[in-house]
Amino acid sequence: MEVKIIEKDNVLTAVLNGRLDTAVSAEVSAALQPMLDQADKTLILDCKDLSYISSSGLRIFLTVRKAAAAKGGKVIVKDINNEIRQVFMMTGFLNLFEIQEG
Amino acid sequence: MGTFRIKNTDMISALHGVMIVVIAVVTLAVGSLALYFRMRDMVEKSAYRQAQQNIDNLEQDFTVVAELVECAVRNNLWSAGVMVSQPDSLWNLTQGIVKDNPVIFGAAMALVDGDFSPYAYRDGDQIISVQLATKEYDYKHQEWFVEGLKADASGYWSEPYFDEGGGNKLMTTYSVPVRDHRGRVAAVLTSDVSLDWVSDRLVAIEDYPYALGMLVTRTGSIMATNPPNVGLTGKNIVAVAEDIPYGEGFTEVNRSMLAGEEGTRIVELNGKKYHVFYDRIKRTGWSMSLSIPEEDIFSEVDHLNSRVLGIQLLGIIMLVVILLTTVANQRRLMRANEKKHRIDSELQVARGIQMAMVPKLFPPFPERKDVDIFASLIPAKEVGGDLFDFFIRDERLYFCIGDVSGKGVPASLVMSVTRSLFRTVAGHEKSPVRIIYTINENLVEMNESEMFVTFFCGVLDLQTGHLRYCNAGHNAPVIVTAENSVALPVVPNLPLGVLSHMSFVEQEADLTCGAGIFLYTDGLTEAENHDHALFGEDRMMKTLKADVSATEMIENIKKAVHGFVNEAPQSDDLTMLYIRYLNDTPMEKTERHLILHNDIQQIPQLAEFVETVGGLARLSSSVTMSLNLALEEAVTNVILYAYPEGADGLVDIEAIIRKDEVQFIITDSGKPFDPTAAPEADITLDVEDRPIGGLGIFLVRNIMDSVRYERLDGKNILTMSKNLL
Repeated sequence: MEVKIIEKDNVLTAVLNGRLDTAVSAEVSAALQPMLDQADKTLILDCKDLSYISSSGLRIFLTVRKAAAAKGGKVIVKDINNEIRQVFMMTGFLNLFEIQEG
Repeated sequence: MGTFRIKNTDMISALHGVMIVVIAVVTLAVGSLALYFRMRDMVEKSAYRQAQQNIDNLEQDFTVVAELVECAVRNNLWSAGVMVSQPDSLWNLTQGIVKDNPVIFGAAMALVDGDFSPYAYRDGDQIISVQLATKEYDYKHQEWFVEGLKADASGYWSEPYFDEGGGNKLMTTYSVPVRDHRGRVAAVLTSDVSLDWVSDRLVAIEDYPYALGMLVTRTGSIMATNPPNVGLTGKNIVAVAEDIPYGEGFTEVNRSMLAGEEGTRIVELNGKKYHVFYDRIKRTGWSMSLSIPEEDIFSEVDHLNSRVLGIQLLGIIMLVVILLTTVANQRRLMRANEKKHRIDSELQVARGIQMAMVPKLFPPFPERKDVDIFASLIPAKEVGGDLFDFFIRDERLYFCIGDVSGKGVPASLVMSVTRSLFRTVAGHEKSPVRIIYTINENLVEMNESEMFVTFFCGVLDLQTGHLRYCNAGHNAPVIVTAENSVALPVVPNLPLGVLSHMSFVEQEADLTCGAGIFLYTDGLTEAENHDHALFGEDRMMKTLKADVSATEMIENIKKAVHGFVNEAPQSDDLTMLYIRYLNDTPMEKTERHLILHNDIQQIPQLAEFVETVGGLARLSSSVTMSLNLALEEAVTNVILYAYPEGADGLVDIEAIIRKDEVQFIITDSGKPFDPTAAPEADITLDVEDRPIGGLGIFLVRNIMDSVRYERLDGKNILTMSKNLL
């Protein structure tokens, strides 16, 4: 699992690459700390290369979302695959996040 | 010149003669006296040695018996703790302990709350169960119960007693407190052992007809004597002060024995001297003593000495020569005999233990047509500690073979412990790696002699032919089919008893109808002929054929080995076990297994496993991924919360693929936890109100078609299935 944070024009983008399972959740959570610190900005979770997400991954997404809600920022989830879309649907996450394609 | 010379020679000769005589007389007088004392000294030392050895042997014999009993009881402690809440199952538990352990005469479990104590005991070939709690017998005031409650985990050995019900046998009871799941002492688990054999072995020294051996309890009661009928049994050593030889002179010895000391003393009583040897069995606190009248020890020497004094110079010289050679010879002979005796009796004990612990009845399952088993264990003269065992539970055949490093009593002891551990653990575990893991933990903990055991354990599903196995440093078994014979691929792993917390690897294979699995110990391949050539694997492989019965197969190999080895002595145990799978209508079902430690870093292994299962069941990638998600949630739950922090624990994941469904069974032995009882997550809440956690079980429920939780046998079992149609 790889996480890369890009900051440009007041927008923070986290590029997630690989499987976000319980084994790596602590690591990913630490890597996304800058997003929580700057939750008043626009935060993009780029999921083009995210192949899998477990509930511990969803938990991280939700933490970011909550931080943004508290500080007046905005979260966009980009390019999720069909399997992850199903998980988002199942868990009601589709209603919590702004999802963007392409 | 000549005369002078002759005369001179004569004079010299005479002088020499006198001198020789004088010197001879003086030398011989001194010599015979010295010899007399030397012989006394030697005989005395020999008596000491024999007495010490006699006591040591008895202690060793008792240790063997005690370890067997303690191990059998401890193996059942955990189950007993679980069963406290289901007292009716205790009838089976106590029956099982007696049945599985020939050395145990009876076993009881006595509860602290209420009056309930099932007791199983041996009566000939039968095992009879009775309720101990009756109006006449208040178990709560019995020594075994009261002391058993107070004992620590190493348990309590009762004072020896005469069992009035059981034919007035001398018995002792081993008691251990049983803790329930809350850690409270809720019962006492006991096993009775007969001590009848003790009295025979108290004195095995035939040269001392008036010697007296005694077994004395911690409080000084004399429980057994040899010779047996001297009227001392049941009395207290302090109270028999006026009896001979245990009279006043023995007060010091008595005191020392009661204090649990060991030693040797010479005691004088009514003008007679007695040599007393006494020692303590550390495990139980009992003492043993052996007293030999001095005249008994020295009668031989005194007899010889009177003859020495009566015989003339030449005779004495000859006698000295003869005596010297005799002494040397006798000494050698005595040593050789002693050693031989000890080794012989030790070997007998070892072989007895070994043979009592392996299945002997063949065919073992005459009513079954789906499996054919035969086995053979030929112990070497100096027992090597081989073992094998098998049994069927829930349509699965559990089997094992092993070889303990080392020889003699210690090896046979470890062998019997390993075999009882196998019986106990495989009685409630389905997975070979879990069986091996648990046996290893137990062996490492108790293995002070640093022996290890090479061991192979297999579980064959008789309905499907699916074989799960785990190898701990043993020779790879051979799979025999009509086409060929090939060694089963095994991960070697370390033998048992070497390191704790070992990660053993479990493997799987499928047997087709008519295939067999041949297991053996290195006594087969390393059988030597007179030229020290080995029988070897090639000869073994050539002899293996799929189209013969299990009995014929083993007999064929025996013949081949016999023909090869000829008359050369067998140096190691030779053990073979052959299992033929004969079910021609196997069930359509595929199984896969995975065992993980409670370490979150093992989650990727789970993903790989689910991918494999998805491939076998031909599932689409999105279904496979959703299964992956459900499995990860359920297994993460166990990894994070089932075991106390820092404690090592295992999670067992079993996948069963049928035509219409995939089923996963997740098992752990952690604290009771029902994930299905968690409240439903509300997915309609908005961001501020959504809790961070609680999604895991929600996902499992949504992905799977059925989710069921059970707490069984101290384990959490979560079964979940997904329909495929």
